[in-house]
Amino acid sequence: MPRSPTKGRRPLLSLASAGVCYRRRRTLRSAGTLHWALSDVSFEVMSGETVGILGRNGSGKTTLLKVLAGIIEPDRGKIERNHSSISMLSLQVGFLPQLSGRENALLSSVLLGEDRMAAKRNLDAIVRFAGLEDCIDDPLATYSSGMRARLGFSVAYHTTPELLLIDEVLGVGDQEFREKSTAAIKELIKSDRTVVLVSHNLPTIRELCDRVVWIENGESRMVGPTEEVIEAYLR
Amino acid sequence: MTPSRRTKDILLYKTYAELKAEAQRNFLGFLWWVIEPILFMLVFYFVFGKLLGRRPEAFIPFLLVGLVVWLWGQATIAQGAAAITANRGLLNQAFVPKALFPTVIFLKNTFKFLFALLMLLIFLVAYGFEASLAWLEAVPVLAIGGLFILGSAYLAAALTPFFPDLQVLIDNGLRVLFFISGIFYDIDTLNTSYKAVFQANPAAVLIDSLRAILLTGEHADWWRLSGVLVGALCIGGAGYAIMRVNESRYAKIAY
Repeated sequence: MPRSPTKGRRPLLSLASAGVCYRRRRTLRSAGTLHWALSDVSFEVMSGETVGILGRNGSGKTTLLKVLAGIIEPDRGKIERNHSSISMLSLQVGFLPQLSGRENALLSSVLLGEDRMAAKRNLDAIVRFAGLEDCIDDPLATYSSGMRARLGFSVAYHTTPELLLIDEVLGVGDQEFREKSTAAIKELIKSDRTVVLVSHNLPTIRELCDRVVWIENGESRMVGPTEEVIEAYLR
Repeated sequence: MTPSRRTKDILLYKTYAELKAEAQRNFLGFLWWVIEPILFMLVFYFVFGKLLGRRPEAFIPFLLVGLVVWLWGQATIAQGAAAITANRGLLNQAFVPKALFPTVIFLKNTFKFLFALLMLLIFLVAYGFEASLAWLEAVPVLAIGGLFILGSAYLAAALTPFFPDLQVLIDNGLRVLFFISGIFYDIDTLNTSYKAVFQANPAAVLIDSLRAILLTGEHADWWRLSGVLVGALCIGGAGYAIMRVNESRYAKIAY
């Protein structure tokens, strides 16, 4: 069941009329052009809630996640942050094929914002979740793509930012691991964690989100309780 | 966790990872850190020592000091220019301070350089040079040299993503610099009106000073070195400032 309203919670992040502009590079033969991937987006994320970002392909969802993650800053409008840490659930960040699975797990955890000590403490859990106990010291180059995906997922899953950003709840790996990882992510989202979830899968949004932001052509068309926004989106 | 602590952790792991990745890429691994400068030296020894017959006294040590230092700077600046671009995947997945990338390149190459330097010192002693406390004067010289190399890598890394053509200019600029830095000849013996220009080149200052300390028992040219230090701080400061100001713009550049 989606949790009730945002009363008593504090805003961890708020966007006011944020816009992001990409510039195509100038060359001798073509002038640079501007493209506003986001033009006017406003909403807040309160502590403990799960906010869904709904929108069609090319509506600016991925750019929006990058703005929230602090990877890019808005070119206009404002973003206010009151969280201690934030990260995207990105898979296989910084993986190097020559290093062992263990070394890659440590490097990737640290890149995703984990403390070196915490990363070391988490290592056993990461390896166990990925089911790679037998080959964690082998070079990553010897892993199958499914094994890499499992390790990448497990590392990202074990990071603990205050605000977690997820681009599609996609299970990875073979059938069995896909079910396990999907279930794990859903558990994580349903817990008390603050999550921003991008998806164009309506059942997923319905199941997991307290509120939804509908993005179209780079603008936030509607912000509100999940059912109301989905109803308007489908109309 | 504080941002500086996270930066330190990433720096540590990433440098270790890059070194290990490089050492595992081929069979001889880290032995290449020694073999590469030696091979390089053999080529120059053959061409300039044997074929062209211009051989200052103790040509091999003379050449080796120049090459070891040159390879350190050349590799760091050339790779530094591509440091941010090479990590664009990572840049789009997580926020990482951009100065970290050229710093990792610098640390990696400095580690390799120290390894080669140790070999060089052992070689010098075996060759008949007397190790003495006076060699310690090389430490501050190398620190200034390192600062200049790091500063140049910062500036190159900061600008190249915005002006990709710079990479070509930097590669070619380094090639020119190699020939005018007195690596396989002594600038003092040149008979040209450009000599003063040649001597103002930071690479030449660094190499000359090290040769003075290690090979001829003289002092470093501290007057010229202080100029290099000022240059290093200006260039490095500018590079760092550019990276800070544009911190969130690098991820947006379409490659």
